[in-house]
Amino acid sequence: MNPLQARQLVIDIPGRTSGQPLDFTVEPGQVWGVLGPNGVGKTTLLHTLAGLRAPRNGAVQLGERSLTDWKRRRISQQLGVVFQDRQDGFPATVLETALIGRHPWLSPWQMETVEDQRMALEALQALDVAHLQNRLVNTLSGGERQRVAIATVLAQAPDTWLLDEPTNHLDLHHQVSVLGLLKAQAAQGCSVFMCLHDLNLAARWCDHILLLFPDGDACWGPSQQMLVPAALERLYGQKLMTAEIDGAPVFVPAGSSDPQSS
Amino acid sequence: MHGYSFLRPLIVLVLAAALSMVISVSIGSSAVALNETLSVLFGGGTELQQTLILDLRLPRTFTAFATGGLLAVAGALMQVLLRNPLADPYVLGLSGGAAVGALLAMMAGVAGVVVSGSAFAGALLSTFLVFGLAHGTGSWTPSRLLLTGVVVAAGWGALIALILAMSPARQLPGMLYWLMGDISPAANPLPGLILLALVCLLVFPLGRSLNVLARGSMQASALGVSVRPLEWVIYILASLLTATAVTMAGSVGFVGLVVPHMLRLVLGNDQRLILPACALAGGTLLVLADTLARIVIAPEQLPVGVITALLGVPTFLYLLHRSR
Amino acid sequence: MAYRFLLLFFLWISSASAELCSVDAIGREICLASPAERIVSLSPGATELVFSAGAGDRLLAVSAWSDYPEQARELPRVGDSNRLDLEAIVALKPDLVVAWVDGNSRAQLDRLSDLGINVFWLSPREFQDIANAVETLALLSGQQETGTARAARFTDGIATLKAEYRGAQPVRVFYQIWDQPLMTVNREELIGKAIELCGGVNVFGEQPRLVPRVSKEAVLEANPDAIVTSGRGESDREWLEHWKQFPGLKAVNLGNLFLEPPDLLARPTLRMLEGVRHLCQTLEQARARL
Repeated sequence: MNPLQARQLVIDIPGRTSGQPLDFTVEPGQVWGVLGPNGVGKTTLLHTLAGLRAPRNGAVQLGERSLTDWKRRRISQQLGVVFQDRQDGFPATVLETALIGRHPWLSPWQMETVEDQRMALEALQALDVAHLQNRLVNTLSGGERQRVAIATVLAQAPDTWLLDEPTNHLDLHHQVSVLGLLKAQAAQGCSVFMCLHDLNLAARWCDHILLLFPDGDACWGPSQQMLVPAALERLYGQKLMTAEIDGAPVFVPAGSSDPQSS
Repeated sequence: MHGYSFLRPLIVLVLAAALSMVISVSIGSSAVALNETLSVLFGGGTELQQTLILDLRLPRTFTAFATGGLLAVAGALMQVLLRNPLADPYVLGLSGGAAVGALLAMMAGVAGVVVSGSAFAGALLSTFLVFGLAHGTGSWTPSRLLLTGVVVAAGWGALIALILAMSPARQLPGMLYWLMGDISPAANPLPGLILLALVCLLVFPLGRSLNVLARGSMQASALGVSVRPLEWVIYILASLLTATAVTMAGSVGFVGLVVPHMLRLVLGNDQRLILPACALAGGTLLVLADTLARIVIAPEQLPVGVITALLGVPTFLYLLHRSR
Repeated sequence: MAYRFLLLFFLWISSASAELCSVDAIGREICLASPAERIVSLSPGATELVFSAGAGDRLLAVSAWSDYPEQARELPRVGDSNRLDLEAIVALKPDLVVAWVDGNSRAQLDRLSDLGINVFWLSPREFQDIANAVETLALLSGQQETGTARAARFTDGIATLKAEYRGAQPVRVFYQIWDQPLMTVNREELIGKAIELCGGVNVFGEQPRLVPRVSKEAVLEANPDAIVTSGRGESDREWLEHWKQFPGLKAVNLGNLFLEPPDLLARPTLRMLEGVRHLCQTLEQARARL
């Protein structure tokens, strides 16, 4: 497996000064969470790591080779991306959408095989949307659509997962099952790299954290080292109260509407 | 399985196509009974009937079929390329360029093959013009392409108006018929049919990539599709198909917009089914429209573009209504 | 004939008041105090008729495409059909403007009438109308002698031809006006009338429209004895050659594919006499081969 690596990577946001170069490797078995306030560039970073945007400086590597040296098709067999937005102008059925995930594995003249169908169906089952397989995707609720998008990447079976806010639109039950699924993927040797807006989910599910600060600074490392209240308060510009539940930290914004609190 | 679910609608469409062609060949301003038609197709019949059917109606039917198929497939390709279900083959100015080419040739007093060749040249010129202008400052998106195309189309429209204003009165009927879309009796259906067949062969590799592309260019890229090269291929292909169609029959409207749309409402969005279905349905539709154009006020003739417009609009409205 | 007497009667009456009056093709009466000396013609046909009436030297300007007689080519142009330069026409201060019903725009020329300019509309539908037009124009421009004589020659010529071909064996004719779309004429059209005069039978004579657009199939079915056309212009046999791909056609078989000199039949002018004469001779050739 070729791990995804950022080498002195500076993402390119037009009009913004360059941030701190990022240099990390997403090793197999790791679940990374990217935290930062809105607009800091999490989505841009994700797209850059996926090879969809050019960095301003530095490089993204898969294994020892730069992304630019890999063929597009080989990249898509190793990297799967769950985007935040979807274009459903030409709506297909849920099953067809999941099957699209098998595209990188099919040669141009090949039709989808029984095996491909099976993988797509299993992916839909794992995301609890198999019962919707013949529905058109534009008739689904936000949460169902999100799960279908994740199922598509599951069918793609990449080594590395890149996800942009995967828990958007999902109710609590499905948030937990999706993150559990991603954790299980990591346990099987994949690596997961996701942008999250929910600090507590990151705290509970990620073993590595990347913090992107509004001023361009960044730091990354194992979760215990990153989830330090001082750093997080600086990140969000918000005072936080910390607690511990079940061995994992929980953060709550301080300054409630209770007039008696300090 | 996928293969089978494709087969049934395609078989229905093939039968419809065959039926429409038989109808077209047996109907015209002169009456030839069905059994006489069939006998001519197998070598018999009077000399007049043979001439009518083999020399006049059959080539015309094939031309109509090829034109309709090419336009429908081009329309489907344009709609995916621009990620816009309202796109048609002419939205990027192609028919305008062809029209200017054809009208200039007519104004110069030449006819036949030169007009067709001129139309084709005009269409290609328009393709390159839009290509070059949209490509201009690097980044090339569907909306930029659409805007460029619309502006170029408007430019051609202005030239067409100028040509019409300056032409001697007696050339006007010919020009207007070309602009409305009229199956030229002189057209050779063979290049069109061959091109249509080739495109249908490309359906499998092309079709699946189009399905992925329809999800959005970033999603497609992430799934291993080389988006830019694919978009260029679609653009060139759609332009080639449209240029060929317009060369054979002038600018016939509606087929390129309505047929892919109708089929998507009924058959879903797998381009591997939609593209060949478009070829068959578009061809069938135009063959039937041309048959109507030939008999509605026989022995007088209507241009086929008039019929496609009159039929296309209410059909489309009905289907939209039903799909709600 | 009756019309001629009526005209002379008007002349006699109006000579007393020295007013020249005539009713035009749209029913308007145009009266001139004295013979017109500043004439503008707005169609090639009208131009020819003005020259035929003997008033060519009084023409100030003509429409585009006025190419006969030679002198007409040197005259200044004021536009074409419904794209006329009204300002230029007004600036010329004409006392008579000759317009063509199927060529010029009523709305535009009514503007001229409102300004007090005399607009005389022509619309020859029969051979007699051509003769009358020449006479009227001659009257309005004080060239009665020339005009009347020429008109009479025309009328006599037509009558002679009519008599000559009265009992002739009918020849079924397809007259092709244009190729794409395929256009022909019905029997109400002047060319259609010419065909009948020469003993021809227009295969599309009964069509309701003056200039129907027909299908090739219809021509094949009608299977005319002769196909006649003026082509696109000088010696353009292209359209006739196209018909040779149908050897089953009688006309092709007999070699009855004829090119008529353009302009002689196309314009309702005195030259039409030559055109009709030529057509009759052509149909005679066709008849001989039947």
